[in-house]
Amino acid sequence: MSDSHLLAIADLSVRRGSRDVVRHVSMSVNASERVALVGPNAAGKSTLLSAIAGILPPSGGEIHLAGQSLAAFSSREIARAIALVVALHEGAPKLSVLESTELGRYPHTGPFQSLSLHDHDAVTRAIAETCLQELADRSLGSLSAGERQRALVARALAQEPKLLLLDEPSAHLDIGHGLDLFALLTTIAARGVAIVAVIHDLVAAARWATRMIVLHGGQIIDDGPPAAVMKGEALGRAFGVTASEARSLDNASASTWRFERRLGG
Amino acid sequence: MRVHGEGTPPGEVREVSASRVTGLLALGLVVSITAALCLGTVRYTALDLVTEGLRGLGLTSAPALDEARTIILGEIRLPRVLLAALIGGALALTGALLQAVFQNPMADASLLGVGSGAALGAVIAVKLGWSFDIFLALPAAAFAGALGAALIVYLVAENMRSSSLTSLILTGLAVSAFLSGVTSIVLIASEEFRVRTVFFWLAGGLEGRGYVHLGLAGALIVPACLAAATLHRPLDLLLLGDTEARALGLNVPRMRLVLLALAALLSGATTSIAGSVPFVGLMAPHAMRGLVGPRSSRLLPAAFLAGAILVVLSDLAARAISDRYDLPLGAITSLSGAPYLIHILRRTERG
Repeated sequence: MSDSHLLAIADLSVRRGSRDVVRHVSMSVNASERVALVGPNAAGKSTLLSAIAGILPPSGGEIHLAGQSLAAFSSREIARAIALVVALHEGAPKLSVLESTELGRYPHTGPFQSLSLHDHDAVTRAIAETCLQELADRSLGSLSAGERQRALVARALAQEPKLLLLDEPSAHLDIGHGLDLFALLTTIAARGVAIVAVIHDLVAAARWATRMIVLHGGQIIDDGPPAAVMKGEALGRAFGVTASEARSLDNASASTWRFERRLGG
Repeated sequence: MRVHGEGTPPGEVREVSASRVTGLLALGLVVSITAALCLGTVRYTALDLVTEGLRGLGLTSAPALDEARTIILGEIRLPRVLLAALIGGALALTGALLQAVFQNPMADASLLGVGSGAALGAVIAVKLGWSFDIFLALPAAAFAGALGAALIVYLVAENMRSSSLTSLILTGLAVSAFLSGVTSIVLIASEEFRVRTVFFWLAGGLEGRGYVHLGLAGALIVPACLAAATLHRPLDLLLLGDTEARALGLNVPRMRLVLLALAALLSGATTSIAGSVPFVGLMAPHAMRGLVGPRSSRLLPAAFLAGAILVVLSDLAARAISDRYDLPLGAITSLSGAPYLIHILRRTERG
């Protein structure tokens, strides 16, 4: 089965400290898919991303990338195929956008080689795709939250990954910049990159994703098209709410969601 | 913030100004070395240096300075000044590496116990008489001590899973204090001539060091510097933090150990030759980071040059301030370094 998928996870458990934060997770992701990973706090979402990126070793189960076990790859080989954009943080505020993006080429060049023409091309493309040309010389610390998030995506794109993982990419962005970011991610997916993003905002997740996965207590409790998952019983159980679709009176095709706290939930 | 004119490719501006800074530093080092060669109890003119240099290379038959002056310049002052430059550069590089390992701009050999570990190793070598009998015993023991102390601090800090400035400094202080305690106990049970040897050595200085020491320091420091230079890309990745460095394919724990070993090698080399010379590893990289940015390909050379200038001038001050004594080099760098540290802390406090 693992041959046909870009990413195939079978019965994965990941331990942090003394307890399994991710438990018996199985899922697969194909090229160009836009997967939103949702779930309440402490559901194991970030841990799952770290395990897929090869940063945390599994305590059980297996991860396959393009049919081959992740355990067989070196961390640099993994970084050539999988890029991880961590939750927005201060990082290295004095690096310029260009310098930060160039670090994305590390898995391709290694510690001793300098950047080749192809590497510089990849960096230029990543900066262009994230519309950061004007800001390439600015330091990360001087950027707005939206710009910095795009700079982190640019570094990930410079890795030329097949799979892009993002941890709450829109968490600190205002609505306009959030929409810009999701539009950017959609463009990236359209050229074949699979994207798995942890997204807190359920409505934004449902609007952007082609597929939603609900994680609760370290386990996947629902997985499917956003419309079905949003109405599903599992999502309500995970968050302790009920969701209902509310159609706008003016425009029947525009839909939004209403959430209500479940009684006794 | 720097603004560049239209048509300038992005990234170019800082690059140019960084290489200009490095060029100025190299010039500054040449000037400092010239000044340090000329000034002192015996004085020379720049012309003396040129003629002596040409004569040394067999390029001129101009009349020499008198014999004593030639010996003082060639056999005493020149190796001492070159050693000061080498030691200073190595101290600055040690600081820059430790700051990368601990992802903290305030990390420094003297704050992390590496210095006192090297001191303890050296003191044991003096106490047991190895340093008098065996040629390489002192540097070897200092190196072992530096490595041991670095490992202890690394393991303790790693165990706490915290890289906050306070816990780091406190861990370093605790390890330093412990090792200093052991050093005192070893010293109290030593004969007076050994205590005197150790005291002058601990105070830090380059008095009486010659070409042997220069060769010894060079043999340890030059390869370590070259190794550090090849690691500038992994060092840059560490700037991003653990998770991102690992996500980009860097084996973070192994790189930390490699860098720590290099820092311990450098610190062991400097401490065994020059004793304790504090604050250079803090001041030079910190000042240069503001000028050339955080990337190691520019920071490491700039910091090396700045550290070299700092120690050449400090050693000149140590020789020139009093006409009766050579003051300890470590005292001079402390006198300038401690106020600098307070200055940084005040600026950080104000945000």
